[in-house]
Amino acid sequence: MQKKNKRRAVIVGGMRTPFLKAFGDFTKLDTIALGVAAAAGLLKKTGLRHGDVESIVWGGVILPPTQPNIAREIALDLRLDPGCEGVTVTRACASGLQAITVAAAEIERGNMDVAIAGGSDSTSNATIALPPKVVHALAPLALGKPTPADYLGVLSQLTPISEILPRQPKIAERTTGEVMGESAERMAKRNEITREAQDEFAVRSHHRAAAAIASGRFDDEVVPVQSPDGKWIHADGLVRADTSVDKLAKLRPAFAKDGTLTAGNSSALTDGAAAVLLMSEEKARSLGYKPLAALTSWSYVGVDPADQLLMGPALAMPKALDRAGMKLSDIDLIDMHEAFAAQVLSVLKMLGSAAFARARLGRDEAVGEIDSARLNVHGGSLALGHPFGATGARMVTTMANELVRSGKSTALLGICAAGGLGAGAVLERVE
Amino acid sequence: MTDFLVELGKNPRARSLVQSLGLPIPLPQALRRDRGPWRERPLADTRMAVGGADGAQLTSVLAECLAAAGANSFLALRASDATAFTAPGETFGRPARPLEALAEKDRVDALVFDATGVKDTKGLRALYDFVHPLVSRLARSGRVVVLARTADGATPEAAAAGAALDGFVRSVAKEVGRVGATANLVIVANGAESRVAPVLRFVLSPRSAFVSGQPITVSTRARAIAEPPTVRAFEKKIALVTGAARGIGEATARALAQEGAHVVCLDRPADDGPTSQLARSLGGTSLGADMGDEDAPAKIADALKSLGGVDVVVHNAGITRDKTLARMKPEVWDQVLTINLGAVIRTTAALEPLLRDSARIVCLSSIAGIAGNMGQTNYAASKAGIVGFVRAKAEQLADRGITVNAVAPGFIETRMTAAIPVAIREVARRLSALGQGGQPEDVAQAIVFLASPGAHGITGRTLRVCGGAFVGA
Repeated sequence: MQKKNKRRAVIVGGMRTPFLKAFGDFTKLDTIALGVAAAAGLLKKTGLRHGDVESIVWGGVILPPTQPNIAREIALDLRLDPGCEGVTVTRACASGLQAITVAAAEIERGNMDVAIAGGSDSTSNATIALPPKVVHALAPLALGKPTPADYLGVLSQLTPISEILPRQPKIAERTTGEVMGESAERMAKRNEITREAQDEFAVRSHHRAAAAIASGRFDDEVVPVQSPDGKWIHADGLVRADTSVDKLAKLRPAFAKDGTLTAGNSSALTDGAAAVLLMSEEKARSLGYKPLAALTSWSYVGVDPADQLLMGPALAMPKALDRAGMKLSDIDLIDMHEAFAAQVLSVLKMLGSAAFARARLGRDEAVGEIDSARLNVHGGSLALGHPFGATGARMVTTMANELVRSGKSTALLGICAAGGLGAGAVLERVE
Repeated sequence: MTDFLVELGKNPRARSLVQSLGLPIPLPQALRRDRGPWRERPLADTRMAVGGADGAQLTSVLAECLAAAGANSFLALRASDATAFTAPGETFGRPARPLEALAEKDRVDALVFDATGVKDTKGLRALYDFVHPLVSRLARSGRVVVLARTADGATPEAAAAGAALDGFVRSVAKEVGRVGATANLVIVANGAESRVAPVLRFVLSPRSAFVSGQPITVSTRARAIAEPPTVRAFEKKIALVTGAARGIGEATARALAQEGAHVVCLDRPADDGPTSQLARSLGGTSLGADMGDEDAPAKIADALKSLGGVDVVVHNAGITRDKTLARMKPEVWDQVLTINLGAVIRTTAALEPLLRDSARIVCLSSIAGIAGNMGQTNYAASKAGIVGFVRAKAEQLADRGITVNAVAPGFIETRMTAAIPVAIREVARRLSALGQGGQPEDVAQAIVFLASPGAHGITGRTLRVCGGAFVGA
């Protein structure tokens, strides 16, 4: 636990855009524009003076090749003080949480007092890259003064045509070549997670998210965004209040012929952004804010991508708990990123296994069972969608608000990420 | 050197043509090998059929090892034995399933049978019942591994049954060699259970590609190591390889360096060029010495002393000077015996004070030394001498945790065998159960395995790397 006299970073507030399916109404908003929308909403809600923001720390996965440091672009587009610097971080699906922990660490080290941290991604605006062969072949034309012979040479290199067509972008592991759904499919098989269990989990996620939207629970943390066409978008676009296990059961497997993963129990490609305002506790109180929560601990881990790609949280969450000096039983709320229902259920199974704890965590007792009453109480990525860089910031915002509303004191976050990465963090309510 | 028939067999069209025409051409199966560094999960995603006789004692050892190594187990075990697989399956996400769950069309990568419960002739029937229906479903470069107990204190009947396993495995090796598969017997002494896993990782993986038809005994003789590493096992270790300039020595030096060892590459001063080039590329040390010289052992000891000791010694340097006995000159006899055997003994003695605890000594014997060979009385004598040497030396050093073993290569594709007349060479290649010669890497893999910390259960033994070419030993 945090020592009393130590500088501490606190979460003052959070805001996100609605999350929409890729190639929907946000198609013409790139990741910077989405980030600007979320951060502007946050500034408006908290009433913070623009000049007070010292840094933007932003997470993203699909970064624009010509301006990868989107954090700085967001700061400039927001018309913040030019002195507000910006840094972009990337750790696959944990990028949003990464941005927040970087900002918290900077604040706790005393390097700054106020930062906006978060993340965004626009799958709709992923750059379709030309194959390296084309780029290399065209190089003599682009650089230098080409002769007619050069043009002919280039032409001769650009055959057959199939080799030079842009490739369909896919999110495959560089080392294994597996698309993430294939890895999750293997995890489902290896951990014996049934199709029914996955569908049930997905339905619960949708129903909880729908209930949260209907009750106005998200009104405090979702800012309406106007698309370039002039249309206002107020609510998340992927949540289906009317879905059921029967409906999901009809979907066909998406990643393997005899597989159990479907579009219904996997998270969708999503556009969106989320932002969190962090301050040193002193600064927050001196500006008259009531801090919501603080990060007690966090941890990032890596596992072999060829083994169980998305099991990272099963190692990272216990590690974060250890660092906080807590046990799973001390935790009131648990929020796990739902990349795939199969992945969450696999991780839950590992956390509940004593054999797993002995061999992989070096302890005698299982980390513990997580019942659905305290897990993802307002749904998760399956229902809301998963703009890669934004998810971590969405989770921190929702949990910080939930701790305050419910009067509970602790929350545990878990996020799996490409490359076999995993993240865990403990949030505590600030009195 | 390439083997035309192995290359031809790699072409599926040629293969099916030869087979459908019934041509009398053997088409050996190209062997699956793993030349990269050791892996945490060498058996990832392989299908293992696991069986056992009543009273099987090693099921929990098998369960732990297979799941941790990444294998999917399909069990033909009694329910009480199968429970050993539950917890490891949970830990590594490798739940064991009943054998019936395996789809009809699926090949099996390995058949593993725990025969430690076999006490009499009748008990052997369980082995037949397990292997018989599955042997035709064995995948290419598959594995058959039978686990047994040592015969110490066994009743004559149990001893007979134990020895019978040996004959069974050797014969299965001959039969499955056609598809590039191997069969081996792992004999486990009482109390050596915790030392079996590294051995299984080796014999079940592609690293044992050319090791077939032989018993491997795991004992408690040498002092044990707690939790030997499964990858980068030679980090911070100093390894000496003699005869490192080319062939098996070079392959061994490369394989040891790949696992993290600092390799001292030794060869004759005349071969200084390739030796230092190798040492440089491996980030090791080059050392020139002629093993026939009186002062070579002292020179080597001096060099190793400056490095602070030695963890692995591979006595690979050796020569052949073939002549039938009647025509063999005394100088030639002396030369071979001095370099192949005398130098090994004297160098080991000189290095003894420099050996660190749990060091490993690996000598090169030869199938010629075990089986005998025309025109090689000198060579065979020296290589059979090695078998005796490691057996006795192992006893002396066991209490320091040091193991002493030998590998006995069969027909390996090296410069030495390339010099054999073509007709004899062709015959020699096809003699093995796998129908082909081995690669220097195959011997190197066996040496690296015996030199690894995990091989603490094996000492005083001679491991053949002959593709099942030889019947005895």
